[in-house]
Amino acid sequence: MSGTQQAKGGLPQEKLTTIQVAVIISNFMLGSGILSLPRVSAEKVGTPDAWISVLLGGLVAIVAGVIMALLSQAYPGQTFYEYSRKIVGSWLGHLLGPVMILYFAATAAFQVRSLFEVSGFILLEGTPQWAITSVFLWVGLYLMLGGLGAIARLFELILPLTIFIYLLVTLMGFTIFDLDNLRPLLGQGIWPVLKGVQTTSLAFTGFEVIILLTAYMKNPNKNIKAVTAGIAIPLVIYIVTVFMVIGALSVDGTLTKNWPTLDMARSFELSGLIFERFEFLLLIIWIMQIFSSFTTAFYFSALGISQLYKRKMKTCLYGLLPFVYIFVAVPRKLDDVFTLGDWIGKVALYLFGVIPIVLLIVTKWRSSKHANQT
Amino acid sequence: MNRENSIESRIEAIREQIKEYGDVNIRKFELGQTAVKAAIMYCDGLTDREQIDFHVLKALMSYSFDQRPISKELIQNTLLSTSEIIEVETQEEMLSKVLTGFTALMVDGINEITLIHALAGKSRSIEEPISEALVRGPRAGFNENISDNIALLRKQGENKDLCLLKLQVGERAKKDLYIAYMKGIANPALVEEVHRRVAKIRIDNALESGYIEQLIEDNYLSPFPQIQNTERPDRVTAALMEGKVAILLDGTPFALIAPVTFSMLLQSPEDYYERWLAGTLLRIMRFFAAIMALFVPATYISFISFHPGLIPTKLVISIIATRVGVPFSSLLEALIMEIAIEILREAGLRLPKPIGPAMGIVGGLIIGEAAVQAGIVSPILVIVVALTSICSFSIPQYSAGISLRMLRFPAMFCAAAFGMYGVVLYALLLGAHISRLQSFGVPYASPAAPYRLGEWKDFLMRAPLRMMKRRPKLLYPQDSTRKR
Repeated sequence: MSGTQQAKGGLPQEKLTTIQVAVIISNFMLGSGILSLPRVSAEKVGTPDAWISVLLGGLVAIVAGVIMALLSQAYPGQTFYEYSRKIVGSWLGHLLGPVMILYFAATAAFQVRSLFEVSGFILLEGTPQWAITSVFLWVGLYLMLGGLGAIARLFELILPLTIFIYLLVTLMGFTIFDLDNLRPLLGQGIWPVLKGVQTTSLAFTGFEVIILLTAYMKNPNKNIKAVTAGIAIPLVIYIVTVFMVIGALSVDGTLTKNWPTLDMARSFELSGLIFERFEFLLLIIWIMQIFSSFTTAFYFSALGISQLYKRKMKTCLYGLLPFVYIFVAVPRKLDDVFTLGDWIGKVALYLFGVIPIVLLIVTKWRSSKHANQT
Repeated sequence: MNRENSIESRIEAIREQIKEYGDVNIRKFELGQTAVKAAIMYCDGLTDREQIDFHVLKALMSYSFDQRPISKELIQNTLLSTSEIIEVETQEEMLSKVLTGFTALMVDGINEITLIHALAGKSRSIEEPISEALVRGPRAGFNENISDNIALLRKQGENKDLCLLKLQVGERAKKDLYIAYMKGIANPALVEEVHRRVAKIRIDNALESGYIEQLIEDNYLSPFPQIQNTERPDRVTAALMEGKVAILLDGTPFALIAPVTFSMLLQSPEDYYERWLAGTLLRIMRFFAAIMALFVPATYISFISFHPGLIPTKLVISIIATRVGVPFSSLLEALIMEIAIEILREAGLRLPKPIGPAMGIVGGLIIGEAAVQAGIVSPILVIVVALTSICSFSIPQYSAGISLRMLRFPAMFCAAAFGMYGVVLYALLLGAHISRLQSFGVPYASPAAPYRLGEWKDFLMRAPLRMMKRRPKLLYPQDSTRKR
């Protein structure tokens, strides 16, 4: 049969299909970005062309993803935590691993915090943070204890639902859509668009898990396909989002909202249906997406601890939980949350934009040297 | 002929042994035209007396033994005209066989005891299964007799690939159990796994196939059934043809089918018997009903108590107007009605058939109406509760229906604690559980997850038969093509 074995840490270990890896990447990327990306990109670009910037950002992400996929192919069966030390030596490797663990832990905490901010703002005014957060963390832990196979399967259930509802709701925004809000196309030239690419490509962080996921793939050689498909899905969704939101709310309207996508969904009403307002549909899938982003980040943070410090995976999952819980409460106000998001983005830029290229070059150089010797 | 071996002394010994078995009878007689004594021993009610009278007693008593000497071979090979006989030597062996319905024949001077298979064919006739009624489809259902059930399976068509492994379960009361599968289709690893789990069962007495189900399932803590049960031979055959394995136990009309996935529990044989468009629509409707059965009361609670702003204004006003006199919170109100309807359902099941429906009407209509009149619950809630239970009736598998009925109560509590957020988290928790759950190595959520696009032809939709040329791959069948 499918051959589920119990690994040393007690979690079931399964090999993932190419589609599953693409789905995990997509789900990880689609997170808090859905609601805030129109504002973030409009802030940087300043013109209605933000969606072009998103497109370019996505392409940059695909390039970076392919580089990481290539890097992982050179070390079959190993995660980045394991092979990074082989490339850069144990001293630098001891630095790189923990930074990545911290990065994933911070991402997990950031996702939970934005969940709290949004749901506390709209769904649950007055419910204390500890209640909202801890319930969320426990459900996530239950899933993660099922191993990567269970995570992948749940994501496969979530993703089609997300795409369907999300496109339904955003496309309903056509009732208030005004093409004039998006004109003129490239009115101020290409420069503002390029200026935004750095920011928009950060909206695509999440594809970096390919350097960890490749080790668990049935066909590791197909990881380039997986990462490309995994980025393509959010790319389409993000372009549609920015296009529709700016088209509906205009650039100025977008800039004043914290979560402009939500505001767009609130600002149209279709009468004659059971629900006249659709932001709650959007929120439902958004919670699911935050959940998937959180579990992925948390799982890979724990995986890092488990692999670097040779601890059982179960212990790491339980042990990391209180730290993330405290981390969630660190930012004091909403602005701090956004600042935290910016910081995570900057770290991601170096960690996954620059370092993999260097590592890939080192790997290729070494292997060619090795080939020359023999 | 020594005294010890004489039939009189053996019968004496046996009589001593069967003192506490009041239903075991002994009849002594003499072989035809000789004075050689013989005796038969049988269990009252288990043995077909007519057969014994005709094929044993009459044959032995009327045959004239003058041409050939009395011997075991003569009796067994020439005189006993029954299809199955066994030979034993000890009295213990004989007694245990007699208690399962064999008739023992002892002849003076012959040490071996011959056991004759002549069971009384007392079993319920083959009727339409009550728990799985169909509008279209065979009316035959299994009964309590394993050989009838096996025959029903065999009669589904000439098929030499249908294999039946015979096992026995039960430590004190041994019962026959058959593992059925199609050779050349079912994955040998799956058959081996089922066999291994069944062979591991240690239980005094397996009264019903439910015992077997609970002892071999993957996760006994899960609220979802991981093995399907059915009374329908056609359903079993269809499952075997897909490469699944069936387990039949003596004494129960319910056969088990493994492995099972969540989507299979929402399928009905009728989906295939009707034309594909009707089958598809009915199936989608059932999926929809299952989701409704789980989440409608929870959604009601979360909208009423947390997010009235999300429903259209006019609707809110009318709901609130009807709730004005209700003294309870929406959770308590919903709990009262949901529990009342569950009790009504249970009561309706236990009542004699003519009263059952009447009870449902009295309970459902009158109590509901009276509760609204008395101002205990709001009329909207009565609609919600009625909708929920109708939806849960539409689940074709009783055991799957029970799971959904149970699971909607935690959903209501989640809704009362966290509103829509709680309901979404509860859905995620259920999703996480389904993703973790496996049935004999097959992910419970498949074919939805992991994606098997080839199998979506038979998931939410039921594609035209001419398009379904392959068996579901999730069972790793040996031969994946349906038609050649």
